[in-house]
Amino acid sequence: MSRVNTVLGPIPTEELGLVAVHEHIGYGMPGSELDTKWWRSPEQRYEETVPKLRAFHEHAEAYGGGTFVDVTGICNGRDVDYYRSLSAKTGVHIVACTGFVGGDTALPHFAAADVDYLTRQFVHEITVGIGGTGALAGVIKVGVSRGGRMTELDKRIYRAAARASLATGVPILTHLAIDAENAVAIFREEGLPLHRVLFGHVDDGVNAEKTRDVWIAEQGGRIGFDTFGYETELPDPPFWARPRRERLEHFLRFIGDGRITQVLASADANCSPLGWPGVKGHTVNYIFDDLLPDLRGAGLSEAAIRTVFVENPADFLTIQK
Amino acid sequence: MSVKSNSVYTVLGPVSAAELGVVAVHEALLSVVPGAQYAFDVTLDRAAIFEALAARLREFRASGGGTVVDRTGLFHGRDVRLYQALARATGVHIVASTGQGPEAMLGGYFLTPQTNPPTPWPAEKFAELFAAEVTEGMVVPRVERLGPAGLVATAATRSGMTATDESLLRGAARAALATGVPVSHLFGADAVRELEIALDERLPADRVVIGGLDRTDAVAAGAPLEIARGGAYVALDHIGSTDEAYLTGAERVALVLELVRAGFGDRVLLSSSATGVAKGHDGNDVAFGHVLTRFVPQLRDAGLSEADVQRIVVDNPRELLSISVPVQASAPVSVD
Ligand SMILES: [Zn+2]
Repeated sequence: MSRVNTVLGPIPTEELGLVAVHEHIGYGMPGSELDTKWWRSPEQRYEETVPKLRAFHEHAEAYGGGTFVDVTGICNGRDVDYYRSLSAKTGVHIVACTGFVGGDTALPHFAAADVDYLTRQFVHEITVGIGGTGALAGVIKVGVSRGGRMTELDKRIYRAAARASLATGVPILTHLAIDAENAVAIFREEGLPLHRVLFGHVDDGVNAEKTRDVWIAEQGGRIGFDTFGYETELPDPPFWARPRRERLEHFLRFIGDGRITQVLASADANCSPLGWPGVKGHTVNYIFDDLLPDLRGAGLSEAAIRTVFVENPADFLTIQK
Repeated sequence: MSVKSNSVYTVLGPVSAAELGVVAVHEALLSVVPGAQYAFDVTLDRAAIFEALAARLREFRASGGGTVVDRTGLFHGRDVRLYQALARATGVHIVASTGQGPEAMLGGYFLTPQTNPPTPWPAEKFAELFAAEVTEGMVVPRVERLGPAGLVATAATRSGMTATDESLLRGAARAALATGVPVSHLFGADAVRELEIALDERLPADRVVIGGLDRTDAVAAGAPLEIARGGAYVALDHIGSTDEAYLTGAERVALVLELVRAGFGDRVLLSSSATGVAKGHDGNDVAFGHVLTRFVPQLRDAGLSEADVQRIVVDNPRELLSISVPVQASAPVSVD
């Protein structure tokens, strides 16, 4: 049976449709909830978020529906009850994650935990539920802390994620693909096939040069071009922005080398950011408004687009037990 | 220059300082290791937590206690709504704290913010965060502000103060200066040096309490007397639990008497660091009334006068917690 865990329950892979594989309903660093400068009323949150999801749903209709994978880690404002209401009211499938964006977003209780405890946390959220919501996590998030190298805590989290992935069949998404040798070594030691791992953010402006995307693909990993839209051309670009043309060419070059079945793409946008200003105008719908036209303009076929946005994510997200 | 008002900020608002009675000045109500609220094996049953805390507070009141100070800060399980209900239900005054620390207890928002480079928060930003919790109310994350914080609690890393620990302490001192609440600082490795940092922010010494001074390393360094000489309050705050790192009960009694005889009876504070309900850690299962019911009798037996006992368990915490209004500054509360 093919299935994927969404916040409203498991769905057949065939229902996923077009998948935005690395997105956020709202993201904030742990502790940002204490700073009232970022607070919005629930009215504002829904007002900022629902129209974006509704547009996403309408755009995705041509692909048989749309799935929004929220990769907001455990301590980053992940709010599954809220996601459930959004999904139920807009028709967008929402997949929530377990795991952490990086060691530096794991709060002290988890930062002090050993691999076994972290594994049990992840497995529980995938098989029993996230908090009291009853919703099951559909992906595991891991990542590299600020500073460019995996910390000891990052490595503990990667190892726990590998074990939880093997135990449950749910795949792993990474925040950043720098220092990939260490990540690959951990996954290999744990016996996790690398096609169960999406190495994300190979395309961001800060890290693209330092990221061995081809090497990771050669090892069998999946590659995430998932910060599409964070462009230096924006009026107020974030520090990880990159010239639009440069990112697009990077992507085209990569798939041109016969690696189209290994790539996934997304916009890493926030519907309504929780602990940072966000980037005005950048939404998950960049995929439809800008990215797909750019890809078509570059000569990509509809079949190729379906490979990147429908078939690859379906293969990746399907629970493999 | 500053003058003392006669009020103290409790979770239910300003209360006349004369009403506090005996104060347990360095305790924890609900103590949750940051992140444990998301752990698969931790349950937070509010009704059960309320019942357990209410029982402890009623026991404290029955033993003669009047006020409990929760000095866990803003990010270690503090639940203002629950504390308000507890204060109403039990009649015990509850003073809650803003502040946080040491560095290892902070969220990534303060340590690796989404800037390039990810520069940790400076003192000024902590000062604003903490002061607003006094003047505008304590945060219920992403929901509302509720009730004024009555003190700023910080702590330094045991192996030695980090740069962020110092920013926290300086920010706490600035917030205290601006709002009139005191700073309660749990020292890391060097109590005297850490007090100097707070004083360097021009906070009067009598607006600071240094905690952890019944640790053997503090006593070996002569810190209790040195801190008292510097004009700050000296908190012996592990009364009732046995821990290798701390003095024994008898040694504590001797230290209190030594401080009083040296003329620092008005600088001494006693507490237990009791944990009402602990999640994600073992906590410290000591009654809030332990100082009153078990330790004070030992002090009397050792010859401490009744006047000194009253001074230590009633007058000193009352003076510490009374809002100190900066003269010629816009006062956060009316001086009555
Ligand atoms: Zn992201």
